[in-house]
Amino acid sequence: MARVSERVEPFPARVAAPFHEALSRLWRALSGMLSLLVVLALWEAFAREGAVSSFLLPAFSVVVERVFQDAASGELFFNLGPTLYRTLVGFVIAGSAGVVIGILMARNAVIRWFFDPIVSIGFPMPKIAFLPIFMLWFGLYDFSKISMVVFNAIFPVITAAMAATEGVERELLWSAQSLGASRRRLLWEIVLPAALPQIFTGLQVALPVAMIVTIVTEMLMGGPGLGGAMITASRFADSPGVFAGIVEIAIAGLILVKGMAILRRRLLLWHQETKEPTTV
Amino acid sequence: MPLETATKAKGERALSPRERVQIAVNRVGHSYRPQKGRAVTALEDVSLAVKDREFLALLGPSGCGKSTLLYLIGGFLPVEEGSILIDGQRVAGPGPDRGIVFQHFALFPWKTVLKNVLYGLEKARLPREERLSRARAFIDLVGLSGFEESYPSQLSGGMRQRAAIARTLAIDPSILLMDEPFGSLDAQTRSLMQGELLRIWQRSKKTVVFVTHDVQEAVFLAERIAVMSARPGHVKEIVEARFDREDPDLLRSPRFVEIVDHIWNLVRAEAIRADRGGAP
Repeated sequence: MARVSERVEPFPARVAAPFHEALSRLWRALSGMLSLLVVLALWEAFAREGAVSSFLLPAFSVVVERVFQDAASGELFFNLGPTLYRTLVGFVIAGSAGVVIGILMARNAVIRWFFDPIVSIGFPMPKIAFLPIFMLWFGLYDFSKISMVVFNAIFPVITAAMAATEGVERELLWSAQSLGASRRRLLWEIVLPAALPQIFTGLQVALPVAMIVTIVTEMLMGGPGLGGAMITASRFADSPGVFAGIVEIAIAGLILVKGMAILRRRLLLWHQETKEPTTV
Repeated sequence: MPLETATKAKGERALSPRERVQIAVNRVGHSYRPQKGRAVTALEDVSLAVKDREFLALLGPSGCGKSTLLYLIGGFLPVEEGSILIDGQRVAGPGPDRGIVFQHFALFPWKTVLKNVLYGLEKARLPREERLSRARAFIDLVGLSGFEESYPSQLSGGMRQRAAIARTLAIDPSILLMDEPFGSLDAQTRSLMQGELLRIWQRSKKTVVFVTHDVQEAVFLAERIAVMSARPGHVKEIVEARFDREDPDLLRSPRFVEIVDHIWNLVRAEAIRADRGGAP
């Protein structure tokens, strides 16, 4: 097989095409991983060299060891559980409410008149600035943290759902109507599926936002959770603990985002852009 | 009857008593208001009678309102001035008696070819077995057998238009509205599709209203061609073009060339006017 791919042909044989594609895909995956491996190797070498004290930068191997220790002792899951719970509950609430508000804004002038200025101000604003007020009003526990997550994650969903609904071609609606669809059924049968790719893109933006806000609220409000655990570790001058928290958050975030990408590929099999390889 | 005098005034010949008028457009006007700026009159005092099982082309320069007239007949836009009667009934919204084919196909991209064709049949509440056999029969008629499970994004432009035509024909509308259906196809596919449309029309004997800006296409397909003026659009002249369409030398026959030339002269004057009217 290797010889086939080396031979230069003006029109490559059909059998060579999938092999070529697999090779280039493998190379893309590897090269994507490669840069990460280089950074980690540099980190390890730099820390072992003793150029900086292990308090400022513990070696990567030490951090990995700590992650495994946390996992073995159950400490990791004790913190990961609440973080994932807050992220996902906040995301689901923001996602469903955001989709409903966005679609209603696109289809109802009164609702649009009401929400439009709020969304225009709210979307670009650093909403994390409301944190002291949320702490004052809702306390330090899950309700307060999840409210903050919803407040931050809902805006990209609203704007995506509104733009998606408005962007549905009138020819699609007209086709359905002339094929006998009633006006009432158009929303479910035509508008929603037609808008789904763009709505899903909004959800894919909202998920990392939910994760980030969860970590920040945990850092500032304390209690169980990866963010809180990192702040505790830092107060005890436990550098490996802080870096282990970063690695754990990175892995959890990666799994969530990849999960969404896989879900998208399943749900939107028909959508052309979805099939093409993405960076996510 | 005011309708007949109106159409006669536009240069139409006397109707033979056996030819029933199916679509009666009577002194219709239409204007739309862009978000900014003043209202634009798209159609002004348009009268037209389309007979049962007739193939009529609406021809004119771009922006003359020929598509608007088609959408009014389809019931997609409200008739605000004048009246449009289908079989003696006022048009009040879209319905499965008037099937439509758009230039950009308007297939449901989240449905396979088969499910696209099934959509209208489900709305017609046909029994399941009959729906399936009917859908397959029309997919076969347009030459898409074997592509039932393909999504529109996997098909070429010509194949997408075939699927859209199958979807519309499957619900057996008595009127077929076509909005530049071959306008986005390449020249070869286009002439192939024209031939197939003629064959389908001759077999099913539906009333066809075909919007185009292509003079040769109009003369080749239609029995009568309503030439429209530049904006505000009205019917300038109705040209008869009845030929033996089985004749392979039709396109070079003196009468065909003469009619094409005649219409070209009419359209050229309007196109120049439309162009000047468009410039500030």
